[in-house]
Amino acid sequence: MTTDKDHNNDAELEALFQAARSTPPQVPDALLARVQADALAQQPRRRRNLWEAFVNATGGVPAVCGLATAACVGLWIGIAPPDVMPDLGGIVLGVETTTEDETAAFGWDIEEG
Amino acid sequence: MKADTPDEDAALLARYAAGDAAAAGLLATRLTPLMYGHALRVLGDGAEAQDVAQEALMRLWKIAPQWRAGEAKVSTWIYRVVANLCTDLLRKRRTTPLDDVAEPADPAPSAAAQMQQAARVDALQAALAVLPDRQRQAVVLRHIDGLANPEIASILGVGVEAVESLTARGKRALTAALADQKEALGYQDDNG
Repeated sequence: MTTDKDHNNDAELEALFQAARSTPPQVPDALLARVQADALAQQPRRRRNLWEAFVNATGGVPAVCGLATAACVGLWIGIAPPDVMPDLGGIVLGVETTTEDETAAFGWDIEEG
Repeated sequence: MKADTPDEDAALLARYAAGDAAAAGLLATRLTPLMYGHALRVLGDGAEAQDVAQEALMRLWKIAPQWRAGEAKVSTWIYRVVANLCTDLLRKRRTTPLDDVAEPADPAPSAAAQMQQAARVDALQAALAVLPDRQRQAVVLRHIDGLANPEIASILGVGVEAVESLTARGKRALTAALADQKEALGYQDDNG
């Protein structure tokens, strides 16, 4: 059975607990600084994937974009070089390539001439 | 004061383990006051409480890469570490030869004078100091840190019924310890 005295004791004790909860001890600044320093010292290095490592190694996103553009242009020129450019493929491989004017095969030049 | 929700702590710990420096600062700011406050209440010594809080958090930083989300609450885990460190220190105190303990200066009159001048929080701290270690830990976790009995049971490694018994006996012992101090605490005035 709970008596009035017990009730008063509980109320008084709860008042002390309430006071303790509402006034938590102040954390020393030096402690917080030490804990944060520990955290950073123990923190694992950020893991990067291969693509991220490649992008960083080549100088970042703008550099990779430039590299990709240059690669595409080089491929295009290699497949279909403009007339003003020498036939590097033929020079390197030692093969001479010629193109026939297809219009001549149909005799268009004779008709016009 | 209640511990923050476990999901937030676990999420921050995952970010920390992934290398997020901001998460390190946030976790330290969230957990250090809880651990320091608990250790201070249990040990009654600021320097020891600082050491315990720093060591507990150091263990959290080290285990972060292996942390398995969902298996345990971060707050429960670190409270358990702090409780164990406090228990070790309290045991060590009991085994320390009396000659190695600093002599308190004129304890009887200063204790009475302190109680007369102390705020209620300080009186509670003084009363907590007379409790057996496990009772003190249980009372602090339940009534000051505001944790639920099942979580306290997990922290202290006992059953829920044992926690209920520890806190009940602890409160009775606190009441007895504070009985002579009611006038100093101002309860005589409060009660008319």
